Amino acid sequence: MIRRPNQTRTIILLVCPALIFVLVFFVLPLIFLLSQSVLPEDGGFTLSGYLEFFQSRVSWIVYLRTLKLGLIVTGICVVMAYPAAFVLARMPPRRRSFLVSLVILPLMTNAVARTFAWLIILGRRGMINQTLLSLELVENPVRFIFTETAIVLGLTQLFLPLMVLPLVSAMENIPDDVLEAARSLGANRLTTFLRIVVPLSSDGLVLGATLVFTGSVTAFVTPAILGGSRLLLMSTLLRQKAVILFDQQAAAVVAVVMILTTLAVNLLLRVGRVQQG
Amino acid sequence: MPMVSRWMYISLVILYSFLLGPFIIIFMASFGANATMAFPPQGFTLDWFANVFETSQFIDSFWISLQLALLSTIVSLVMGMPVAYALTRFQFAASGLVETVFSAPILVPGLVIGFAMLNFFVLLGDMHVMTGLFIGHTAILFPYSVRVISASLRNLDPYVEDAAVSLGANRLRGFLLVVLPNMQAGIAAAFVLGFITSFNNVPVSLFLSGPGVTTLPVSMLSYLEYYFDPTIAALSTLLVIFTVVLVQTAERVLGLSQFV
Repeated sequence: MIRRPNQTRTIILLVCPALIFVLVFFVLPLIFLLSQSVLPEDGGFTLSGYLEFFQSRVSWIVYLRTLKLGLIVTGICVVMAYPAAFVLARMPPRRRSFLVSLVILPLMTNAVARTFAWLIILGRRGMINQTLLSLELVENPVRFIFTETAIVLGLTQLFLPLMVLPLVSAMENIPDDVLEAARSLGANRLTTFLRIVVPLSSDGLVLGATLVFTGSVTAFVTPAILGGSRLLLMSTLLRQKAVILFDQQAAAVVAVVMILTTLAVNLLLRVGRVQQG
Repeated sequence: MPMVSRWMYISLVILYSFLLGPFIIIFMASFGANATMAFPPQGFTLDWFANVFETSQFIDSFWISLQLALLSTIVSLVMGMPVAYALTRFQFAASGLVETVFSAPILVPGLVIGFAMLNFFVLLGDMHVMTGLFIGHTAILFPYSVRVISASLRNLDPYVEDAAVSLGANRLRGFLLVVLPNMQAGIAAAFVLGFITSFNNVPVSLFLSGPGVTTLPVSMLSYLEYYFDPTIAALSTLLVIFTVVLVQTAERVLGLSQFV
């Protein structure tokens, strides 16, 4: 480490430009948002925005639906990613890095393009409906779009990479010897997987679950396209309050609830991780 | 390869068909002749690609997105690099706090950031839409640039630059001539990551976009509200090709996946 008399000055010079930028243009707007949610335009201080939010049946339905879909998406991602990540982690490095880059690819394409595919698959004259109609399983097209299933499918496709990547990097660190030891001591594949692989990759699991869950409960594009105004989630509710109903205080309340929810999830999982470790 | 059973390979097939299947469908739809998005598409046409280039909304917003992504990535790198340097080369009391502040934009939902910034900018008075977008995008890129550059600095032996200094270079010269050339891969990775994050962002741009100044993903989203034809599929295909080339190049040259 470098030691110099004017070290403090150097650090301040290095950190300050960016720090001031973030404080002024990021932290200050968030403080303003918080104040907007409790200070009505005609002055005074009130929690009526929050009371209204939590007394309204509609906002409860939207909030609980958001959390429910987030949990379902996270669950599906865990089930789909776990065995696949294990196979990837056991592959020779060259093949693994190629396959991992294929996992990253969808992450690097914008959400509108990725969600659009689901309109083609699930639409009135989409792939699934055409198949059902031609097999004469249904007489009229089934409505898939604007359903919770559509949103779950869209979000799962969107966030699956965020579960796979941390799991692969956690499992890469499990030495082959450990697994072979377990096998030679009589554990079958399933036991080894559940009692050796799962505990040793729990860090990756926790990280992946945090990313997928917080991503799902705050995503905007997928619920906007596949849920629309008929099936609101918190993000589309925020947009509706701000842009269509022009109720900035109510929108600010929704925004604060969204921040608190993601922070709570992050803290909860971090605490859990510390206690475990 | 011990421990990997057949059903685990099946899980791999399911994973990849789920992740990549939608792209194949978009690709097929963008060449289909029927305008109603029925699947499977009938006939073959390049009309939808032509339509992409004839829709001024897409062309204009593409240039805006490109400028915005380049500018905000470069600024977040130039401002983030000294922070990463301070965090990795010095020990100071507030370092934990600094780290938290710079990772915060990743913890707050993008839509909330955009909404809060819009209200704040309105409070500040007349601000150009492009300035607002630039500020929003730069702020959300700091976590990436600080983290990736820090990782790259940690891999570099600090004694290398101490040696330069003891041989008579001052700190700045030492940084520019010794540290910077050794960080090329990290900087390039941070650049690609930042560029793609900004180029694809919807939630932050959504509120900050204004009349006539819209980013490409946001204009795609608003196009979808009025039209439902394969133009978006064609545009998505072009964007996927663009991303594949960019990501594969970066992956080959730099090993991008280790930073994500």
